[in-house]
Amino acid sequence: MDEQALIVRLQAGDESAFAEVVRIYKDRIVNFIYQLTGDYQKAVDLSQETFVRVYFKADKYKPIAPFSSWVYAIASNLAKTELKRRRRMALISIDEMPPTVEISTPSREASDSGLVRNLREALEALNPRYRIPVVLKDMEGYSQEEIARIIDRPVGTVKARISRGRNMLRRQLEKAVHGNAPLREQEIYDGRY
Amino acid sequence: MDDIKLLGRLDRVTAPPDFDRRVLARVAERRATAAQTRRATVFRFSLAGATAALLVGFVVLNVFVLRPSVSDDRAGAGLAAGLFDQAREVPVMETVNYGREIRSASREPGAVYILEQVSNTSNIPIKY
Repeated sequence: MDEQALIVRLQAGDESAFAEVVRIYKDRIVNFIYQLTGDYQKAVDLSQETFVRVYFKADKYKPIAPFSSWVYAIASNLAKTELKRRRRMALISIDEMPPTVEISTPSREASDSGLVRNLREALEALNPRYRIPVVLKDMEGYSQEEIARIIDRPVGTVKARISRGRNMLRRQLEKAVHGNAPLREQEIYDGRY
Repeated sequence: MDDIKLLGRLDRVTAPPDFDRRVLARVAERRATAAQTRRATVFRFSLAGATAALLVGFVVLNVFVLRPSVSDDRAGAGLAAGLFDQAREVPVMETVNYGREIRSASREPGAVYILEQVSNTSNIPIKY
């Protein structure tokens, strides 16, 4: 179905159009928020909230940008708010942090190799300012112009943030591999890699 | 290390099976809450409006409808004058003889008396 027609129906309050939008974007949005927060349950919750906002604010969407950018912008803002809230919580008291805040993902134990775990930890250590553009670029495959529209920043800023984010990620990974434990070797030795 | 390619190695997750149903339930719930809030707001504003209208009505009634006329004022003044005329005179006399009081008390040693004028109108009848 033509996306533009779908959006017009959505803006008219058509629930079947909304259900179609949810069907199209749900996996991408859940995955996007999961990559930002590292928490599957929270990602599902924030994705649902994203679609609720899409439904109630559909009339605010102007077709000057792709619809997907608009949906991603809502998801990105919600994820950013969640990350800020977590940071505030961590600043108040590390001891009071609930252990569930860390990570909960289906079959995480089974799927996470050491390298992937290190990669995820490095990503989670990255400031959301850099993490969001890096995930949008390198995992969701958006162009810099589209990312600029999603996070509402100039293209130059986006370029700089992606570059800095990648560098920070690289440094974090190198530190993990060479500093703490040579994961590749260890994994090869364990037969997991 | 090519971290850009490595990012692709991170596991992708998908939405749970009941995701659509939960989203629609949340939308319905939010819509009900919004309607409730709208009703509460309308009620609040109508209550405030009714109170304000009542207050304005009360002021208008008192200022323009139930306002006392000038003839009522004159009638009130005449009544007061009549009551004043009917008042009777009651003579009030000072009952204390200060001369005697001082004479009898002067034998007490070291006593100091302060005499204070209490009235200029002795022997003048006071009207009540």
